[in-house]
Amino acid sequence: MSRKLFLGISLIVILAMVLSACAPKVVETATPVETAAPVEAAEPTAAPVAEEITLRWRTRPDNQAEIDVYSAVSADLDAAMEGVTLVYEPGGSETSSYQDVLKTEIGAGTAPDVFWIPGTDVADFATRGLILDMKSMADATEGFSAGDFYPGPMYHLTYNPETSMTGEALWGLPRDVSTFALYLNLDLIAEAGADDPRELVKEGKWTWEAFLDVAKKVQALGSDVYGYGANAWWGPYGVWINSAGGNFYNADRTACGLDTPEAIAGLTFERQLYVEDKVAVPYGEDSEPPFMAGKVAMFQNGRWATPGVRANANFNWDVVELPTGASGQGNWLFWGAYVVNANTEHSEEAWKLVQMLTTAETQGKIAALGANIPSRMSQEAFDAFLTFTPPANNQAFLNGIADANKPTAEGPLWAGSWPNYDSIMGPMVSKVLNGELTIEDYQKTICVEANKAFEH
Amino acid sequence: MQVQKTHKSINQTQLIIKVTTAWHFLLSISGIFLIAYIIFPHGLKNIPVWLSYISAILIGLLSIGSFYSAFKLIKLQRQGRTASLVVNYIGLVVTALLFFQNLGIFLGVDALAKTFGSSIGWLSGVLLGYLVYTIGDRYHYRIQIEEMFHKIGKYIALIFFAIFLIKSGLFPALIYLAKQMILPSNFVILFVVIVFGLAIWSMWREPTALYLNRTNAQTEALEGYLFLSPNLIGFLIFFAFPLVFSFFISLTDWDAFGNSNFIGLANYFELFKLNLKQLANSTQDFFQVMDGSIFSELLRFNMFGKSYVLGAADARFWIALRNTLVFGIVTVPLSAIPALFLANILNSKIPGMKIFRAIYFLPSIAAVVGISLIWQWLYNATIGYINYFITVGLDFINSVFSTGYPQAQIRWLSESRTALLAIIIVSAWQTMGFNTVLFLAGLQNVPKELYEAATVDGAGRWAKFWKITLPLLAPTTFFVITTTTIQAFQVFEQVFIMTNPPGSPGTSTLTIVLYLYQNGFQRFQQGYAAAIAWVLFIVIFSVTLLQFRSQRKTGAYDV
Amino acid sequence: MKSFKLSRFITNMGAYIILTIFALVMLFPFIFMVATSLKTPDDTFNYPPRLLPREGVETTLEGFDKPVPLYHIDIEGVKRDFALVETGIPAGIYAELDDLSSTFSVPLDMVKPSASGDQFTLPDGTVQPIMDVPVNGTIMQLVQTGKTALGRFIDPKDFSREVFQVVRTSQPVTKVTAHPENYSHVMTMENMGRSLTNTILVTLFVVIGQLVTSVMGGYAFARLRFPGKDKLFVFYLGTIMIPFVMLIIPLYQLMVLFGWTDKLAALIFPWIFSAYGTFLMRQFFITVPKEIEEAALIDGASRFKILYNIFLPAAAPALATMATFTFLYAWNSFFWPLVIINTGNYENHVLTLTLNMLRGRASDSANLILAGAAISILPPFLLYILGQRFFIESAMSSGVKG
Repeated sequence: MSRKLFLGISLIVILAMVLSACAPKVVETATPVETAAPVEAAEPTAAPVAEEITLRWRTRPDNQAEIDVYSAVSADLDAAMEGVTLVYEPGGSETSSYQDVLKTEIGAGTAPDVFWIPGTDVADFATRGLILDMKSMADATEGFSAGDFYPGPMYHLTYNPETSMTGEALWGLPRDVSTFALYLNLDLIAEAGADDPRELVKEGKWTWEAFLDVAKKVQALGSDVYGYGANAWWGPYGVWINSAGGNFYNADRTACGLDTPEAIAGLTFERQLYVEDKVAVPYGEDSEPPFMAGKVAMFQNGRWATPGVRANANFNWDVVELPTGASGQGNWLFWGAYVVNANTEHSEEAWKLVQMLTTAETQGKIAALGANIPSRMSQEAFDAFLTFTPPANNQAFLNGIADANKPTAEGPLWAGSWPNYDSIMGPMVSKVLNGELTIEDYQKTICVEANKAFEH
Repeated sequence: MQVQKTHKSINQTQLIIKVTTAWHFLLSISGIFLIAYIIFPHGLKNIPVWLSYISAILIGLLSIGSFYSAFKLIKLQRQGRTASLVVNYIGLVVTALLFFQNLGIFLGVDALAKTFGSSIGWLSGVLLGYLVYTIGDRYHYRIQIEEMFHKIGKYIALIFFAIFLIKSGLFPALIYLAKQMILPSNFVILFVVIVFGLAIWSMWREPTALYLNRTNAQTEALEGYLFLSPNLIGFLIFFAFPLVFSFFISLTDWDAFGNSNFIGLANYFELFKLNLKQLANSTQDFFQVMDGSIFSELLRFNMFGKSYVLGAADARFWIALRNTLVFGIVTVPLSAIPALFLANILNSKIPGMKIFRAIYFLPSIAAVVGISLIWQWLYNATIGYINYFITVGLDFINSVFSTGYPQAQIRWLSESRTALLAIIIVSAWQTMGFNTVLFLAGLQNVPKELYEAATVDGAGRWAKFWKITLPLLAPTTFFVITTTTIQAFQVFEQVFIMTNPPGSPGTSTLTIVLYLYQNGFQRFQQGYAAAIAWVLFIVIFSVTLLQFRSQRKTGAYDV
Repeated sequence: MKSFKLSRFITNMGAYIILTIFALVMLFPFIFMVATSLKTPDDTFNYPPRLLPREGVETTLEGFDKPVPLYHIDIEGVKRDFALVETGIPAGIYAELDDLSSTFSVPLDMVKPSASGDQFTLPDGTVQPIMDVPVNGTIMQLVQTGKTALGRFIDPKDFSREVFQVVRTSQPVTKVTAHPENYSHVMTMENMGRSLTNTILVTLFVVIGQLVTSVMGGYAFARLRFPGKDKLFVFYLGTIMIPFVMLIIPLYQLMVLFGWTDKLAALIFPWIFSAYGTFLMRQFFITVPKEIEEAALIDGASRFKILYNIFLPAAAPALATMATFTFLYAWNSFFWPLVIINTGNYENHVLTLTLNMLRGRASDSANLILAGAAISILPPFLLYILGQRFFIESAMSSGVKG
């Protein structure tokens, strides 16, 4: 008999839940969070008093601290923008799936109005028609000048794929920039008796050879320590290719450039680190845990890794510039931009939000977190950045973007599909660095395969 | 008096039947208009073409059914009642679902979830009431006390449940629903729902049923479908239709942004586009014999002293297929053989067997995502436990046997040679306990007498295992192997979580389902992804069929 | 007779050993999970790994404004706890002249050139002066072969007793300290608290919904005669074999059409209809004797009443078995939420999705990730302990020959 009651109650539970299901929708009209109701919620009969429009925006934060900063920024801007309610959504931190999820959401009609995307993906979003060209709105905006931002990112952000001309569109504004540096475990380097890379930089001797020498000395301490560590994506291996004078693409970015002698020289040197000299954390293994555990002397990463190192490193650490090869550091200028959903209902407000998100003031707040470098070129921004220690040697990051080093702006691929290109290049490079593929075989096949990403 | 009343009620019934007949005529005519409206180009613009065709067909069928029912009702035949009930029931369900969707009831779950966290505690009061109720059951010899407890229990449960509902926002919900009802569209739909309901009532009521000479078989058939209907409707909408739809999608170049063209079997041709060429020597470049812009090298092999190379337009698909097959072929025995072994030990009735069984079962109830995260750290090449155990073990062996096995740091998840194996180990580990339980259940069904007889005949352990256990366990073995294979061929979560990027290093852990996911939700070629799904289905189906056959052959031993 | 008992004892022992080894293999990852979830971040990076959460012990010393860590220092075979007071002291590696492989590391400022002023030629050709190096209280004549850095360790009781050695390979004094606050920390990350209640809600809906539809459908298949029943049943059975991935793409499109992407509705309503559950309930209902039902029918009871009053009470164990099965499926599912609840809508994430997010966001904190994993894994374990029987039976019932 008691079972009967139990089942009866369960039945009521469903019914009641279905009923109570619609509950706080009423509350939502006061503080709208969700997107508009399904099919025909079009005409609200009881006209709400002075309805605010809601703008949703999203970035890809790496940790909770970053989420908190963006939430605070969102609250500030919300107060500053009249008639607009801002809702900040932290996106996933997975490098590739963040963009894919955005695309899926745009397809399903649930994407936010404004979102940040990495520089590499601007072309894919733009050519698929997923983001808005804000050129006309920008032209009508007083006091706006694209020249305030780094020219590298702006070249791509104003590129018009139909006319193949730059300056004829505006896909978004850059949020911030970043470069690679080497995070040093000073204790390990001292114990190995190797030269301090920061001193070598001052003496102008911080070359590939000096780098290899330090790495080898540290490696000699034991098989469970490593001279060098980097994560397995295009950024780190791209640096070696760039530094040797090579490039991912040919000069006008219309075909693969990975098989040029320069590009091969860069990869050959990197392969030496992994395969012949074995001074690096095995390719594909996450280098962050061993670095934090004090087992890696030189960890190559961007400014975004700083908050994590500050929190977890139990040793003396600092940063230093990348070693110079035949063509300098070969550093990247990483950047990402705020863009506007092509299907947004409030394009004017969205454009305004993009501008407000890239003001010097907002950028200062975000840079104070220690994650990245402001994308506006100004001495004040640099000076402020230098005070965000540790690391003591913040100058290393700025040297990475200083003009003399010619960093390669992380660029979208207008003539082809970057996701496809990356998915062909990544696995083959990883085979080379794992020692499963010889450089010769790689050179023969890489561009035939990679050029498939240019068909369209 | 009596006669008059019967007369009156018969008149009433006749009127009701006439009204319902008229409703069915109206329904079939308006159905035709509705079809015209839907199919006509400027009908429903925000609905995809395929959907308007499907709705047109559905409405068409209903109209025909409605017309048939009216026709039969005029003749006062009982088939008319059946048809009317079916048509009106379907109409009721469809319009009611539309009504709920419009009101936002389905989406209301989101809102409930918001308050659920704060109100969920009150639900425990319902359990308390249930507990009080069960206490009453103990006093079944004194009816008064029992009833008192039952009453109190019921009240406690009801009160707490009411609090739960209010805390979850029952009142705002009701107000919201009331407000939604003001919308004219909702009002119209609700009206149609009520009309369908009335039509059902008109046929279901006892006098109409008697008047139309219902039979027991008719009642039972109607009741049968009524009971099955919640299940069947959901099944049709969320299973049968998507299945058919999936095949349709696989014939298009559907992306996720609403663009699609019918391209016939092109997706399948692309998948199976292979090219076999003879090589001058085994190291000749692939591009010298095949067009590199179309084909990629899949494999080269030697046969009869000559070298061949096989190219595929979509080499990744074939690699994924190979990885999936390897995964299945290795995982199945790796999880089934130890399970069989363990089940045999557990079956020997030693004390503590239940504890061991309980422990072995644990991994199979944990989320694959959680499991994968744990193993990802265990596999870590530099700080992980697995390499640590291997190091310690090797040190021990080297020192005891004075051998010189070299220590090697295995990069489980970042080396092509070991990555797939690492995933296989996790999967086998997770399914082993489940299979042990299955085997144990099978073993307990083997009659003891057979073993006793064999012991009398002087058969040893192994003989008994091979001659009795294994043959009698054949059905269980078949089931274990089939389910594990089907599961193994769909491996996705482990790879997705444990390798980064998923499928790496290179393509060594790229599986079919992962490749499907990449195509569907990263490259947005959903038509292509649907085609891959069908190929996977055929692979799974044929493997299962193969196992069925071999089971049939050994089925001679089946009890 | 005696030998028989002995051999039996040995076989049993062997059986227990094998069973225990497998049990450890099955349990170890979970023990590891719980232990790691209680650690500090830097403790998770320790090698060789240690299971219990440990933390370095620090002590306050007079004259030092910060607490200093303690290390085990081996002095003449006796282990003592020394405090590390200074790191990165430049030092040289000095080798014996007649045996270059025998080396000592000593701080540079404790070494003086030897009074003799002799020089020594190293194998690589460089010429180094011979130095007076203090080693264990005696002065030795050695030659420098390399550089390194050392830490200075002092006895907390007697500051004058000091030892110089490499910090990295020194063994710190640790004590076991659990950090349960990792759990409360992770609950606030990635909206995990909300995703926990979402998961509970979704699971509740799916389990109850599936029970209702399966019981009704199972009853119809078991006890009612209607045209097309057998064909429908075969169709139902056939679909049990069809893998879920077949439905991903079309179901996704269907959800887009309904406006259910990013909504919990997509996790619930498609999953409350189960061919498998229907089959299971039918198999059970078929075993209920017909006589009671027929008597009730003659008494004029309706089908609903019969199902509710006669079949349901009898089916309680079968329902519980099916409920555990469905519970695990709903609680643990990942692929479908991954496809349909995109990362954008944080509000509607379920636990498995949050874990996936956490993996990226806290990739350097194994303690947090595994605390998250524990939050998703432990509730089913708890239920398992309470109702083990039903879990095992749900596994066994899946072995019913279909």
